[in-house]
Amino acid sequence: MANKFLKKETIGKLIDALTSEGSIFVAPKMDARQVVYAPVSRMEEIVFDYIVPRNPFKEFLFPQTEPIAVFTIAKEAVDMKGVEVNAKETVIFGSRPCDAASVASLRSVFNWDLKDEFYNRREDKAVVMSVACTKADDACFCTTVNLAPDSPAGSDILLKETESGDYVVEVITDKGKKFAERFGNIFEDVSAKKAKPAADVKRIKGIDEKKIKEWLKDTKNYENPLWAELSRKCIGCGACTFACPTCHCFDIVDEGSAFEGERIKNWDACQFEFFTLHTSGHNPRDTQYKRWRNRFMCKFNFYPNKFKSYGCVGCGRCIRVCPVRLDITEVMATISVME
Amino acid sequence: MSSHTQHEQTGGFEPKIVAFVCNWCTYAGADLAGTSRMEYKPNVRIIKLPCTGRIDPLFIIKAFEKGADGVLVSGCHPGDCHYTTGNYHARRRWIAFKSLLEFTGIDMKRLHFSWVSASEAIKWVDLVNNITDEVKKLGPFVEYKELNER
Amino acid sequence: MNDNMENTLRQKAKELLEKGDVKVVIGYGWNKKKSHTAPVFITKPEDVEKLVFNPLCVNNLSLYLTKKFPDIKALGKPAIVAKGCDIKTIAVLISESQIKREDIVIIGMTCNGVVYRQELWKGELKPEIMPTKCHNCDVRNPHIADIIVGEKVNFTPPAEPTGMVFDKIKELDKKSGAERWNFWLEHFSRCIKCYACRQICPLCYCERCIAEKNMPQWIETSSHPRGNLAWNLKRAMDLSGRCTFCGECERVCPVNIPLNLVNQKLALVVKDAFGHKAGYDEKVHPPMIVFNMEDTEDFIK
Repeated sequence: MANKFLKKETIGKLIDALTSEGSIFVAPKMDARQVVYAPVSRMEEIVFDYIVPRNPFKEFLFPQTEPIAVFTIAKEAVDMKGVEVNAKETVIFGSRPCDAASVASLRSVFNWDLKDEFYNRREDKAVVMSVACTKADDACFCTTVNLAPDSPAGSDILLKETESGDYVVEVITDKGKKFAERFGNIFEDVSAKKAKPAADVKRIKGIDEKKIKEWLKDTKNYENPLWAELSRKCIGCGACTFACPTCHCFDIVDEGSAFEGERIKNWDACQFEFFTLHTSGHNPRDTQYKRWRNRFMCKFNFYPNKFKSYGCVGCGRCIRVCPVRLDITEVMATISVME
Repeated sequence: MSSHTQHEQTGGFEPKIVAFVCNWCTYAGADLAGTSRMEYKPNVRIIKLPCTGRIDPLFIIKAFEKGADGVLVSGCHPGDCHYTTGNYHARRRWIAFKSLLEFTGIDMKRLHFSWVSASEAIKWVDLVNNITDEVKKLGPFVEYKELNER
Repeated sequence: MNDNMENTLRQKAKELLEKGDVKVVIGYGWNKKKSHTAPVFITKPEDVEKLVFNPLCVNNLSLYLTKKFPDIKALGKPAIVAKGCDIKTIAVLISESQIKREDIVIIGMTCNGVVYRQELWKGELKPEIMPTKCHNCDVRNPHIADIIVGEKVNFTPPAEPTGMVFDKIKELDKKSGAERWNFWLEHFSRCIKCYACRQICPLCYCERCIAEKNMPQWIETSSHPRGNLAWNLKRAMDLSGRCTFCGECERVCPVNIPLNLVNQKLALVVKDAFGHKAGYDEKVHPPMIVFNMEDTEDFIK
């Protein structure tokens, strides 16, 4: 499909058309002094000048707290019913290419041995409209993980800003094509417009991903004292995990009374102390360096090997949100020069 | 019998009052009220603990979470604690906890503290009746119940 | 002035490590891009050049002295680079028998204030980018220390606590219960239960946090307003009388919940009711484990 054009001022019409049909329009907006992805109802709520919102948009595909079943307890019987996901069409406007690339990672893990309907139904109804980055900050490192500030991976539609504040529209997937056709009056056919250049995100010098891959694969490096040194300051909160677009671990809990309740799926973090606590009392990852090592291995070894998808998309949220500024790129650089 | 209980339980809102009481004084006082056949409002659900010093502020939060419209916490008079100092520690905690809940916006008319000894059956009866009336006037603790819908 | 302090600090740290009985110096160091400072652990005398001290040194390093970090305890006797506010936390830890005064070496740094968030630093420490705790600080000259680095600071804090946190508390006190409830629910609804506030707090050192206990689940782990309210109230209550206003919990909260308001309100209540200010004397018991026969009873029927 040839490129189209989206005038900024018509975004309001798009929001109105979608919300009047019951769809949700998610866009970056200001909340408690930060830019976050959140549902908006008016164009005036949208923030257009941002690097990347504080939260990843995975919460619209994989909610932080979600009931998956309800149960009632009678005298001699427990009656359990699954919760049907009633996914509404969700347009994610203003997604960044790094976030869009994470969708493939989530899809692969939620369709691995069991097809997770809670995720799939939401993803099927989601339309990702990314805006390519024209600026970056020093925590961004998408190019170091082989992505780019204008990469189309994972987006249904990729928007590129022009000098006038409007957007050149590139339709990437079939879903995107259908969406653009549905709103043909908003996505104009004017194609000869020039977009602003993408942000210049330089690859971090000294990071050699081949070296990292090999070093991680070699099991004799599993107990290298480097892990303890690098992660000594880690305090074991879940801020990095909850801010990460590809992290997907969850915990199932029951909440209720003696008569009725709900079974709930909540985000969980491998950085929490009791993440791997067994009922026997044994905890295989009982110290923080083991938990941090797992995070790094998961992102750069286990998941890329198992699913051939990005374990890390280089958005930099973990670096920005970390209370002790534990920088994953510094770890990557240190490992790159290990023997 | 007593004018409190007859014909007042029909229809209208009936508050759920949860009372955390200590075993040696208040519970015995409530028991005395029972054995003396004193009638009082049935809205209170009594939870017996060995001492008010055992009460963690979390119990009170949990009571509100689970649907209590009012909470009463009651124990031995200062100097009479069966474990000597439990109620002194409890008193300190309540001073801090009361301010915290007030700061959060929870109406203090829903949370009551008292000292009731084992012989003060009449005080217990009056206390429960008054608190039930007060909480009934305030209505159900809608703010907490609404949290389930947010 | 600052360069002098850094040089003295490095000198002292080197001496301590060379002498041999201090095995690790816990201090601040730059990240690779020199845009942020972060905790560093110096075990070799030649690495002391990594230590820095400037207004970006916001972390409360006393966290690493607690039993939450057995790996660091295993390194041996620590020396800790501490500002006055950090030393207050150390004092509370000592009063709670978490560390023995003789088991640590406190390198007290005189301090003129830090930034509220490291991102706000643009080269100059302006009052607008300093947190409320700095404006009210009476420990700019460390009150408990083995070594003091830096020149004496002349600063008198205001008689009554002032600044954003205290002004907001006064404002909330004047509002109605319903307005306060809505204010807090709006903030607590954002909580994502990452527990960064608990992990960064040196005084939250329970080996098994009540939030991790199930059967029964006292504090729900889900990120809904009911569970979040219980979590935040419980944590505030457990810190009452102990919190020294290091402000780290609010700094690290990824969703900007104004935790200082709730913790400082309780600190004011405790000061009023029990006459206690946390962190000045390591020999005084925390107020919630002692009692006074004259404690007020005016609310008890």
